[in-house]
Amino acid sequence: MEEFEPKIVGFLCNWCSYAGADLAGTSRIQYPPNIRIIKVMCSGSVDSVYIMRAFLEGADGVFIGGCHPGDCHYQDGNYKARRKAVLLKSILETLGLEKDRIWIRWVSASEGQKFADTMKEMTDEIKKLGPNPIVKHWNI
Amino acid sequence: MVDKIMKVKNGDTIGSVNDLLKDFLKSKKLQALLAMQEVPSKAISFPVLVSNPDKLISNVFAPILPVSTATIISKITKVEGANKPIGVIMRSCQIRALIELVKLNQANMENIVIIGVDCLGTFPINTYSNFPEKTTPTEFIFDSFKKKSDVVKYLRSSCYTCKDPVPNNADIVIGFYGMDPKKELIIQINSEKGKKLLEGIQLDESKEKVTREKAIKEIQEEKTKNRREFIKAKSNIKGIEALVGFFDKCVNCHNCMKACPICYCKECLFESSVFNFEANKYIGKAEKKGLFKMPNDSLLFHTTRMNHMVVSCVGCGLCEQACPSDIPLMEIIIPISENVQKEFNYIPGSDKEEKIPMVIYKEDEYQDVGEK
Repeated sequence: MEEFEPKIVGFLCNWCSYAGADLAGTSRIQYPPNIRIIKVMCSGSVDSVYIMRAFLEGADGVFIGGCHPGDCHYQDGNYKARRKAVLLKSILETLGLEKDRIWIRWVSASEGQKFADTMKEMTDEIKKLGPNPIVKHWNI
Repeated sequence: MVDKIMKVKNGDTIGSVNDLLKDFLKSKKLQALLAMQEVPSKAISFPVLVSNPDKLISNVFAPILPVSTATIISKITKVEGANKPIGVIMRSCQIRALIELVKLNQANMENIVIIGVDCLGTFPINTYSNFPEKTTPTEFIFDSFKKKSDVVKYLRSSCYTCKDPVPNNADIVIGFYGMDPKKELIIQINSEKGKKLLEGIQLDESKEKVTREKAIKEIQEEKTKNRREFIKAKSNIKGIEALVGFFDKCVNCHNCMKACPICYCKECLFESSVFNFEANKYIGKAEKKGLFKMPNDSLLFHTTRMNHMVVSCVGCGLCEQACPSDIPLMEIIIPISENVQKEFNYIPGSDKEEKIPMVIYKEDEYQDVGEK
């Protein structure tokens, strides 16, 4: 049997995490190709509907990347993104859904290596969780 | 806070309150009043905005909440605040909802005078209109207060589990907790607006503050226990299998969202064209799973709605009442709002000055969420 390769949807903020991912690429740092990156202007702009859309359509993991706390290009977007993540995770926990498939991490524009490491870590963790069981439901 | 006593004439509680409200309108201390009034067919009581005191036959204690009065006040004051005083009769959940709407910049409290009423719970619309008992719903609920009838079997689940039925944050309160509503009612003055409203109206001094407080404590303890047991009993709705089953009857009508006082967006994302895709996308989706339910996205709609409103959820249960498929939404909303509000240490509708958790933050909080 083929090894399970998780599909991860990543929302990376334009100013830090996306640039960090870019740096990982231009520095030729190898990292698992499981993430599908969507560039957003700010991690704070990622509404729960986009995370839930990815999650319910069968993404095995959803990654939100923002600037380090205090470094947000829009002053406090990442702090608000963090609160939204707390809210979403609390709801998922109460509903008994796998909140560990949702990750929020801070990666700055200079942290190409950290982005690659985070991707390795996340891919490994999601592999342990296995495929997203939501996929097999057609009546959601 | 000043407590006064209003004597009830001839055991007619509703009529006495009605007379008091008429006085407010006659003396022009209120230009208009939003109160519950029975429709001519007697099938239901609805909020009416009344300016002519002679037309007012309100029943402020009618145990029904057909629509959110908070949403109505938002509708009245959204474009421009009132420049003449408008009174509004509200139950505790609706006061909480109105405060949340003010925080969300969806209502203007200027010249709005909140007249809070003690609440013993409300019935579903159909139970109210085809009431199976010999008495009227209002009589029945007062009897339950005197432990003469069993109201629990008819109460909406949100009322059964309501943590705080006391109308806090009202300008005046018309109450009966801890007393005999056939003989007297308490009139509590909580603010300057309330004081102005009751100027020149003959009321007695209250002596027995303690009995009311004791009665309130008892009610709150009982309801908190109900709520705890309710959450425990419904904790089996967990996991994707159970959740999908729970929402199986959803027909995507979005009535829950329309009835919710907190869901205020004029155009909901789910009713916009954002999720209208090209035919090929739908075919692609069908090919991915082999088949999928149409209309789709019911679970996405519900989980997103939870994310958007649950922080401010006041537990009024109008979402459940609006559901044409009778999905017991509160079984899921109550545990979620309980957990989320505990997480953010936030009680919606308790303090006008407090900010909604989603617009504030602390730099050093939840560090384990962002960095593990």
